[in-house]
Formats: sequence, C-alpha cells, structure tokens
Amino acid sequence: MKLIFEKSIKGRVGYSLPADRIEEIRVEDCIPPYARGRKKDLIEASEVDVVRHFTQLSKFNYGIEDGLYPLGSCTMKYNPKVNEHLAGLGNFANAHPFAPADTVQGCLKLMHDLSVLLCRITGMDAYTLAPAAGAHGELAGILIIRKYFEDRGEQRSKMLVPDSAHGTNPASSAMAGFKVVELKSNKSGTVDIGELERLMDEDTAGMMLTNPNTVGLFDGRIDEIAKIVHGKGGLLYYDGANLNATLGILRPGDTGFDIVHLNLHKTFATPHGGGGPGAGPVGVKKFLSPYLPSPVVVFNGENYRLRDPGEKSIGMMRAFWSNFSVLIKAYAWILSLGGKGLREVSEASVINANYVLVKLKDYYRPSYDRFCAHECVLTGRDYKKLGVKTMDIAKRLMDYGYYPPTIYFPHFKPYAEETMMVEPCESEGKEVLDDFIAVMIKISEEARSNPELLRDAPHRTRIRRTDDVLAIRRPILHYDDELRLKDELNYRPEDINF
Amino acid sequence: MRYIANTDQQKREMLKEIGVSSFEELIGTIPEEMRFRGELDIPGPLSEAELEEEFADLAKRNADFTSLKPLIGAGAYKHHLPRAIQALLGREEFYTSYTPYQPELSQGTLQAMFELQTYLARLTGMEVVIPSVYDGASATAEAALMSLRLTRKNRIIISSTLHPHYRSVVETYTAPHGTEIIELPYQDGLVAGPRLEKVLTDDTAAVIVQSPNFFGGIEKIAELAGLAHARSALFIQVVAESISLGLLKTPGEMDVDIVAGEAQSLGMELSFGGPYNGYLGARKKYLRQLPGRIAGETVDRDGKRVFVMTSRAREQDIRREKATSCICSNHGLNIIASDIYLSLLGTEGFYQTALLNTRAAHYLEERLVASGGFERVFDYPFFNEFLLRSKKPLPGIRASLLEAGFLPPLALGAFIGDESLENTALFCVTEIFSREKLNRVTQLLST
Repeated sequence: MKLIFEKSIKGRVGYSLPADRIEEIRVEDCIPPYARGRKKDLIEASEVDVVRHFTQLSKFNYGIEDGLYPLGSCTMKYNPKVNEHLAGLGNFANAHPFAPADTVQGCLKLMHDLSVLLCRITGMDAYTLAPAAGAHGELAGILIIRKYFEDRGEQRSKMLVPDSAHGTNPASSAMAGFKVVELKSNKSGTVDIGELERLMDEDTAGMMLTNPNTVGLFDGRIDEIAKIVHGKGGLLYYDGANLNATLGILRPGDTGFDIVHLNLHKTFATPHGGGGPGAGPVGVKKFLSPYLPSPVVVFNGENYRLRDPGEKSIGMMRAFWSNFSVLIKAYAWILSLGGKGLREVSEASVINANYVLVKLKDYYRPSYDRFCAHECVLTGRDYKKLGVKTMDIAKRLMDYGYYPPTIYFPHFKPYAEETMMVEPCESEGKEVLDDFIAVMIKISEEARSNPELLRDAPHRTRIRRTDDVLAIRRPILHYDDELRLKDELNYRPEDINF
Repeated sequence: MRYIANTDQQKREMLKEIGVSSFEELIGTIPEEMRFRGELDIPGPLSEAELEEEFADLAKRNADFTSLKPLIGAGAYKHHLPRAIQALLGREEFYTSYTPYQPELSQGTLQAMFELQTYLARLTGMEVVIPSVYDGASATAEAALMSLRLTRKNRIIISSTLHPHYRSVVETYTAPHGTEIIELPYQDGLVAGPRLEKVLTDDTAAVIVQSPNFFGGIEKIAELAGLAHARSALFIQVVAESISLGLLKTPGEMDVDIVAGEAQSLGMELSFGGPYNGYLGARKKYLRQLPGRIAGETVDRDGKRVFVMTSRAREQDIRREKATSCICSNHGLNIIASDIYLSLLGTEGFYQTALLNTRAAHYLEERLVASGGFERVFDYPFFNEFLLRSKKPLPGIRASLLEAGFLPPLALGAFIGDESLENTALFCVTEIFSREKLNRVTQLLST
C-alpha cells in the first residue's frame, strides 16, 4: 500500500484553524534567530484522503473481532465496547493531571477503588497504578526489592529467574542492577526444587516466578519454593502478567508472594492497541508499601489526594500518575463481572485450553502431557522430519483466517522446542474452538501430504512472507531512507499498490 | 455472563470430552490448602446500564473538564484534536490487535509505525526514531541509560529546567547504576553556557536539557551541545511540547545526539496524565543501543514493499538480560494517533498551529504584564508557556479563573519548592484560546 507521503497533493488541506491568527504578533519578535527553524515538510492531504488512508490501513490488520486470536501468554480476549465509551467520558478524557485535587475527585476515587479491588483479587496490601506496562511494573517491582535490601543495609547482587520465564523478567532484573541466575525447569515443566535449594543463597535478592508458568502448568509446590527463598532472606516476586487461570482460585498474596505485577491489558480485558498502551500495576505486602513509587492515592474519609510515599519510595516511574484511561476500562470490566464472575472467567478459560489440548495432543505432541492451566503448549516437533517447521504451520493458519498462536516461546531444551502456545480465552465459544481444532488437524494432514504448501504459506493474505534478513542488512527506517535508495530499490507501481 | 461465551451445558460437555468429571479435577495440582475459598469480595456484577450510571456518577465528581479551558500545561497540553482521530482509532483492527509479530496480518500497525518514524525524523532531524516508549519521562530515562552504555561513563548533568517528573524518573532508572547526577542551575530561566562549562568534566556521559524548558523558555541548544561535545559528552534534548517543533530548529540541526520526546500534543487527550507516548531519536550509529520497537522496510516473497519489526536483537524477548531495555508493550495505539494527527494537519497546518500557539501565548503575556497585575520573572524567549509573578495572592486568582471556566496556571514556586519563585504562575496558552477568551482572562485577572 502507498505511504501517506506518496499520496500528498500540493495545496490540499486537512486542518482547520480560526481565521483570527493574532497576526499582529510577529514570530520574529517571539522566537530568536538561534532557535527559529524552517517549515517542516510533512504532507498535504484533505481530511477524506487521510480518513481513507487509515481506514485502508486498518484493513491490513487483524483484530479480535475478526476471529480467534489464540496468542499464548497474550490473553487476547474480547474488549468490551462499553469500556471504550466509559474511558472517553469528557470529564475523564479532558482532565488535566495537574488540575487541583478538588476538581479531580472522580479520577482519584476510581484509582483508589481500583487499587482496593486489585488487593482483594490478589491478596496483596497495597498497589501502585503508575507502571505503564507489565515490564514497567516488573522494573518497579525489582527496584522495590533493591531498595528494600539497601534500606536494611544488605548487599544482594543476584536474582533467580526460571528458564521458562518471559524475556522481560531477566531484562527487568538486569535493568534494576541484578545479576541474573537462570533456574532450569525439571522434567515435569516446573521449578526444580533441588536446583533452587542449591542456587538460593544470601547474595540472592529473590526469585521471579510465573505461576501457572509459561508452559501453561501450575506449580503446586509454591509453599516449598517460598520456604526456600524466604529462608535465605529473599523476596518472592510473582509475574502476574496473566492471571486468567487463577482469578478467585489462587491469590499470590495467600501463597507466600511478596510482590506481584499485573497486566491490565491481558487479564482485565483492556485492548492491546497493536502493542499498547497497557498498564502494569504492582501490588506489595504491607512491609514493602513504603517503597512503592510516587505518588500513591490516599483517602482521609472525605477526600482523595495524591501523596508521596516518603523517602523510602523508589521515586517516580513515569511522568504524572498512571495510564488512567486504561485503568477506567479495567475497573469497568471487574465491576461487570463481580466476584463470582471473575472465578467463572478462569474456569471457562482453563476448560477452553484443556479442551484444545486434549483434541490436538495426538496431532501436535505437547511439551508436557498433563492438564494445563489457561493455555496449552503444543509442539510441531514431529513435523520437522518432513521439513515442516512450527513457523510454517503458523503461517498456514493465516490462510484459514486465524491469527496464529505464539510460536517458539517458551523456548528451552529439551521439552520446549518448536512450541505453539495456544490461549483460548473465556470469551471464545466451543464452536469457535471446534472450527480451529478442525483446521489444525487439516493442517497436520497437509504437512504430510503437501509440505510445500505449508513452507510457502501464507497464500491468501494481503502480503506473503517477509524478508526479515534484508530488513536488517539494508536498514530503511523511514521514508527518507527509501527515497535515498530509490534507484537501487526500483519498485514497480504494482509492488506498492496491492 | 455477557463476556463469557460457553453455557454451563457446553462446559459440562467439554469437561466430559477432556475426560474429567469436574473443573476441580483440572486444577488438581494446586494443593487444597493453597486455594482461595469462598467468593472474591468484589462488587457487581453490574449490568451495562448500571455500569454507565456508576461511571457517570464518578465523572460528575470531577469538575466539568469538557468546558474548562486549561491555562496550564507543564508537560500535558490541551490542543484541539480533530474528531477523525478518535473515529479512526475506534476501528477494532487498530485497537484490539496485538504487537505486530506476524507481519502478514499486521501491515496496518507496521506501516503506521514507519510513517510516524518518518514524521518524527523530519520534525527532530534525527536519523533513526523509536516511535514509542511509555512517555516523555521514561524516554528521557532510557536516553540517560543509553548514554551510560555508549560512553562507559557514569556521570550525568541535568538542567534544573527539566520537568521535575522527568528528572525524578531519570533518578529512579539510574539509581541501580550509582550514577552521579549533577544539577545545573538556571540563570534567568535558561541554562547558562558558562555554568555548564564549569560542571562539565571528561567523565560526563551526557548533558540533559529540555527545550522549550519547564518554564517555557527556549534554550540555546546548539551552543550547549557544542560545549558538551568539547568534553566528549553526549547531548540529550528533551522535547515535552512537540508542537514547538513546528517552529523551532530541529534538534538534529543543533547537533543533538539523542532526542527524548513526548508526543502527547500530537493527537492525545489529557486523560489525567496518561497514556501519552514517548519517542526517542538518535544518530543512526546509536541504533543498536536504542530500546524498544522499530519498523523497517523490506520485501515479501513476491518482491512487494512491506514493513516488519526490525533490529530486534536489542529486545528482551530475544536477548533477555542482555537487552537494551526490559520494555515490551509500548504505547502502540498512540503511534497511530500521532500518525493521523500529523497527516491531517499536514505541512501547513502543523506550522500554522505552532505559530498560533506562540502568538496567542505572547498576546496573553503582553496583556497580563500591561495590566499591571503581573510582572515578568525572566527575560527569556518562550514558545507557548511563560512564567509571571502575580502581585495578588494566587489562591484568589485560582478561584476567579475556575469560576469563569478556566483551569488556573501552575503555582510554580510551591510546585518545585523554590522560595525565590513564590507567587509565580506558569501559564500555557495553545491554539484553543481565541482572542476573545484571552481578553476575558486578562480582564478577570486585572480586576
């Protein structure tokens, strides 16, 4: 498709400004020569040109309302329409973050009450709503751990992270200044207790754990894990990016965890926006609440206000207070379900995932043959000998109108190879899953009868497989890079207008 | 329940097919004593009508922000947003989709990233642009960390005219590295070259200066960048009000190494502080040290031009603890908002908007000073924010402005805890103020 820059027509106008531009004030008198720049070359297009361009662009995307989006670990569930409406209410959308506290009591009450509900859902004592995303929450959480030990005058340099963890876990630990020690998974896909005992020492600040973990399995020995970590004075961190299996079933705060972060854009049904914005609140046990980032919302029985938690706080994680419009949507979703409804969410998603697992395990041998939580990890390893990779299976799924599952994650030997992580959320019905299962079985047949069809897939999408190596070798990172290379690239018009 | 698809009957059928008699059997690996018993103490379930009522009540506890015109900016700016932005962002293909890991089904998101990278490269004069981190403050902190990696030094000079929140975030992010942070005092509202020279040492990794700065002042970036480079330090410019780029020289023209920007002004609501969108621009040679996602152009199997996420070997899902940052989700939808905003305004509209901002701000400033109720604090050039000292106590001014439908300016002295700035007000005026409204403000504050 053409870029907006290729649609520019000289003289077209898509903006509107009042006729009175206060022209008696001369720009030369406002901006000194050392700073005054030239007019920037953007584009020239009418409003309808722009609207058509973006409408067309949107059609080159796949959203949840187009069909099943079974991306494991991403929790792609339906994003209720009413929540978008509520987030757009004028008094919320136009509230200035520095408006006096008495003019934003509605915003502050919402933040306060959401924190209370998140405490109840996770069994924690206090929350910060500041982090902008899950990994941002992780960073805040690990900085809290760092500050806690610093405050106690203890020097601890290491953080334990299982090999099955998301990449954000080791990256957040490293960013917070810890040396990452990898903990291998055992044969049943969970934490190797012996290994944990061996590695956990008094130079280790704690352990980050996802439970159910990224191979979709519940680790039932959390109490043992907590005993070992706490026994050496360490803290236990719960990666609660995805709570879709545990709502009303298991609360991290009841099972020995000291810190937890949540992704509101996963479990709590706020949209992913093609990469964000989300929100990554962090909950802590009482003894860690002085370390929370600034500010926190407090209520004195009459009014709500923002307060700095004091000198032990890790400081600010972002400008202003939170990704507020995301909080609105999550709060609305929680109230729509109520306590009983939240548990039903987890029941329905665990049943959906196990249904897919049972129906497909003979075709795509799973990493671990046991019941899963809210997602199941299948593999394409049996097709490797036919020259078909998991990537090919994923691309073929697109031809049948599905977004593929998460592939090649988790990735560790010997179990988690050629993985496909399927997470069918509670918003998906049995008939949708039955269709998906039938297609997956059909693809497994195609892999045997016509492997070339898979290797060359997708065939029916707007574009074919992309040359990612070329993108790195010959970096074109904006349109002006392309213009510089115009002769070399020599695109034909049909290469651009598809 | 309206958001859960399967009926109880279907769930029973599925459990049977799975081969268990109950849901409890599926979660058998969780020991009984660990499980949560009873029902979560959460209000609801609310019907959609009840939900709307509940949120309407909450919204009513706020002031009427739909009509209040803010005379305050300080990092969050009220500009007019064409309705087309929200209408287009409301397309489910944009807002419900995931990170574009599968390019065949994500060209919309990827092309929008590429387009905004182009716009921002042109506005900042930088060779590469990461179109989204979380916000301007975290972009500044990431730029600070980048400078530590690039120079292998551990000392950063921060202008005291940087937004206090941005400064705090830089401190939070650099705390684990024991970075020495030097505050550079201002002089007449701006960074003074000689003062910078005094604190610059050969072990300085970077100098961070915001322009237009927190007081609204336009810094002498080229001169300051030259001083930093003379001591082989990197120069980071922070741009909190991106509309200013319509009128000012690009950071690239002024020899800036890294730009940390906030794109809120480019198509985003105030939304009580977020989500906004940070961006990072840099010289191409620093690409490998940049955090976050970037789109690149390539071809597909048919030779057609397509877009993919590229230079991925910097990111956490591939490099784990060796990644340049832990950032994963960014503010992707806000990328599309800015792409739409800049496309609608276009070359002329963006320039004219910037022009009107500075004219309207200067118009009000001149009138307030002429009215006798205010005096200038600094003799500095400014874009659309300016600092004045009120001759009357600020609380009275605040009340009369609110009553007349204006959100009052920031009481700066109290906000940053600087006694020398007592009774000063940081005003912001954007293109949403007509001449009549500005006259009204002047009249209110002169009586």
